[in-house]
Amino acid sequence: MPNLNINGRNMSVEAANDTPLLWVIREQLQMTGTKFGCGAGLCGACTVHLNGEAVRSCQTSLADAVGKKITTIEGLSAKGDHPLQKAWIAEQVPQCGYCQSGQIMQAAALLSKNTNPTKEEVVAHMDGNLCRCMTYSRIQKAIMRAASDMRTASATGSERRAT
Amino acid sequence: MNSHVKIPQSTSADLSRRSFLVGTAATGLVLGYAAVPGIDHALAAAPAHFEPTVWYSIAPDGLVTVTCGKADMGQHIASTMAQIVAEELGANWRDMRVQLASNDPKFNDPVLGAQITGGSWSTMMNFDAMSRAGAAGRIALTEAAAGAMGVPASELVVRDSVISHPKSKKSMSFADVVKGGKATKTFTADDLKAITLKTPDQYTKIGVSVPQIDIPYKTNGTAKYGIDVMLPGMVYGALVTPPVRYGATVKSVDDSAAKKVPGFIKAVTLDDKTTTTTGWVVAVANTYANARKAAEALKIDYDGGPNAKLSSESLLTEAKRLQGLSDSGQFFVKDGDPDATYGSAAKVMEAEYTTNINIHCPMEPMNATAEFKGDILHIYSGNQFATRSGAIAAGAAGIDPKYVVMHQMWLGGGFGRRLDADMMVPAVQAAKAVGKPVKVIYSRENDMTMDFSRPLTYQKIKAGMDGDGKLIALSHDVVSAWPTARWGIPDFLSPSVDKKGPLDAFTVNGADFFYTVPNHYVRAIKNEMAHNATPSGQLRSVAPGWTFWAVESMIDEIAHATGKDPALFRVELLDGKGKNDGGAQRLRNTLLAAMGLAGYGTKKLPKGEGMGVACVSSQERATASWTACVAHVAVAPSGEVTVKKLTVATDVGTQVNPDGIRAQVEGAALWGMSLALFEKATLKDGGIEQTNFDSYTPLRMSQLPEVAVNVIANGEKATGVGEPAVTVVAPAIGNAVFNAVGARVRSLPISAEAVKGAMKA
Repeated sequence: MPNLNINGRNMSVEAANDTPLLWVIREQLQMTGTKFGCGAGLCGACTVHLNGEAVRSCQTSLADAVGKKITTIEGLSAKGDHPLQKAWIAEQVPQCGYCQSGQIMQAAALLSKNTNPTKEEVVAHMDGNLCRCMTYSRIQKAIMRAASDMRTASATGSERRAT
Repeated sequence: MNSHVKIPQSTSADLSRRSFLVGTAATGLVLGYAAVPGIDHALAAAPAHFEPTVWYSIAPDGLVTVTCGKADMGQHIASTMAQIVAEELGANWRDMRVQLASNDPKFNDPVLGAQITGGSWSTMMNFDAMSRAGAAGRIALTEAAAGAMGVPASELVVRDSVISHPKSKKSMSFADVVKGGKATKTFTADDLKAITLKTPDQYTKIGVSVPQIDIPYKTNGTAKYGIDVMLPGMVYGALVTPPVRYGATVKSVDDSAAKKVPGFIKAVTLDDKTTTTTGWVVAVANTYANARKAAEALKIDYDGGPNAKLSSESLLTEAKRLQGLSDSGQFFVKDGDPDATYGSAAKVMEAEYTTNINIHCPMEPMNATAEFKGDILHIYSGNQFATRSGAIAAGAAGIDPKYVVMHQMWLGGGFGRRLDADMMVPAVQAAKAVGKPVKVIYSRENDMTMDFSRPLTYQKIKAGMDGDGKLIALSHDVVSAWPTARWGIPDFLSPSVDKKGPLDAFTVNGADFFYTVPNHYVRAIKNEMAHNATPSGQLRSVAPGWTFWAVESMIDEIAHATGKDPALFRVELLDGKGKNDGGAQRLRNTLLAAMGLAGYGTKKLPKGEGMGVACVSSQERATASWTACVAHVAVAPSGEVTVKKLTVATDVGTQVNPDGIRAQVEGAALWGMSLALFEKATLKDGGIEQTNFDSYTPLRMSQLPEVAVNVIANGEKATGVGEPAVTVVAPAIGNAVFNAVGARVRSLPISAEAVKGAMKA
């Protein structure tokens, strides 16, 4: 039985090696925050992190995920309080909300490397994630807000360390 | 215009025979319509039993849970209902919670008499009922608090879930009152009607952008959609749908290869007496991945049926043929006599407008979970029309609809797609066949090719102007499949003006505009071929999504042909005479607001850029939100259109949640733009050619223009906001393209080739 490291826990699953990671996460591990949208890597609803990189879990086989650190929306933060999640609430981003786990995970991968993205970088990074409710402008605003919050937190943190 | 529909119920939904009940018990205070006399005694005996029959309850901890009878597909309608209740109840917003209703008829819409969510109707039709429910609760709580405090109820003040007596400085929280168990009061329908509601100047919640209750759950993965339902012992179904959209039959199924897939249970060929589906097979397995593998391994032989040779071209050809017949269709509007006027008109113009097939494709693919438990069929699915979908599920099961319980889930997008009930059929029949709960999930390919799409439409408008360029006659023919007629519910159809039988007003709404045109005909013509080959559905904004494309393009064409400014020509036509009084003025004001906000006509734009206007009374004459748009576009020499800015103004009367309204209007406007430029589905050999987001391509972030949303709240009754802005954008863009480069495009979506072709012409 393959073992998965998911959201910091090791869990054994029972599925064929070629099973899309998406269905293993949703059905076997019953973490349903990761969504099925297209099954073809065209919409981004199923986005999770594999070793910190945003990947489409519908296009990732179980075998490819073994031995890597998987993070889903359920594991992004302890209490749903990642700066992006807080920004998503502050900007009242979600409408139907179905794509938003994927949007947040996609954005989190960007901000983990760059907390000062330009609008162009945000668009280029997010363009593969469809939102049928068309909440795009709020997604952009929330990403910028979270990035700013992360920069402030990091600046405050360095000051604290300095003093 | 259609008068509002009421669907007859097997269980009585006659509100006049109900009384409104307020009572307390150990579990809390419950408020709602009680179906039978004497229910207060029954409530005292078994309070929990009545919980599902009510609009909201207050728990002993003071939390107020509102039960929303509307499908919540991202419009935050549950939160809106809670906000209206909270206003009159006097509850603190932090104490408000929401839950979704089952299909119990007690949760039926108070105006529509059914559980259906669409038409941008929910707020306007529930505002009064939710206000009165909230007020009744406040009155009952206040009277109980007065008794407990020993002060007159009239001296009490209710605010933020606290009832206080300023003179004595005594106060009680809602939780205290509920725990005290003394809040008991029964309101008859007449009592409810007699309650004096707050006036807008007294509002403290309505008009405030309180945070939407559902949003936090949609940022951490915990909101439960239909696709997330997990039942003990559940197995999974994957669909195999035929290459033909409708009319195919399964000749044979060879499951020998599927049997080699681990976990495969059974291939179930649907026997759909409801005629919702044709030629569908479900592969059932222990996991969805295995079900999908098995589905792919099935070898199915089809008879393509009568529609197997049809294409978008054949549907359009048939539409043109029908329009050319003098006796086809029925009249929706018949004012004066245009035909007798054209002869004396100084100028006569004709134009044809078309729209291609469009697909809903909400991000959550269609799905349903069915479980037979004893005599009851339980359905778990996010659905916009529980009343009908429950009946379809019953039909698929061969049982009485009263034995179906619909468990409503959050909808991962609706846009009208989930008004339909096709997903019930495979779930029910698979569950029946394997004797276990089954969750059926459509692949995106199933979802797209089996969509109940926005139909291909063909419209022809003829207009006559007098010597001053005044529009004196207009004849408008609308040919399409009839989405609402397909439902088989007579109350959803409207009588025709020429008494030729009922017509589907949801194909012509909007054509009965607020412009004053003395001689005006609108003919609704059913394209039977399209109706059969592409069973159509209601796609966000429905008919006004195509009727205003034609009307608002034609009005622009007339203005240009008669040397008038298109925006000012509209203002002239919105003179508010006769039946247009009231609405026309509101629409005129909205248009002027949009023009002002966009700087229309105030600046010289660079070469290749232009602004275009449109204004609409979507969704229906009786339920309009007055909406106008100024689109600013840049057109490249290749014909490619870039939308630089959409300025939208909308008069919604009263805004419950301003931020929520802005979100809806912006989303709707972008839908309008997506339909105008990016979304096109085509029929070939009887099947929809587009199967996923590589070939059917809604707007992405990189295509986002600047959108300026301006909401006019002038104290009139609250109107809907989910759809109207969809309808105004395509004609505004088309008109802007004309102003930019002189290219008139009359087919949606607007393609670069069409623009380039029209530029040369």
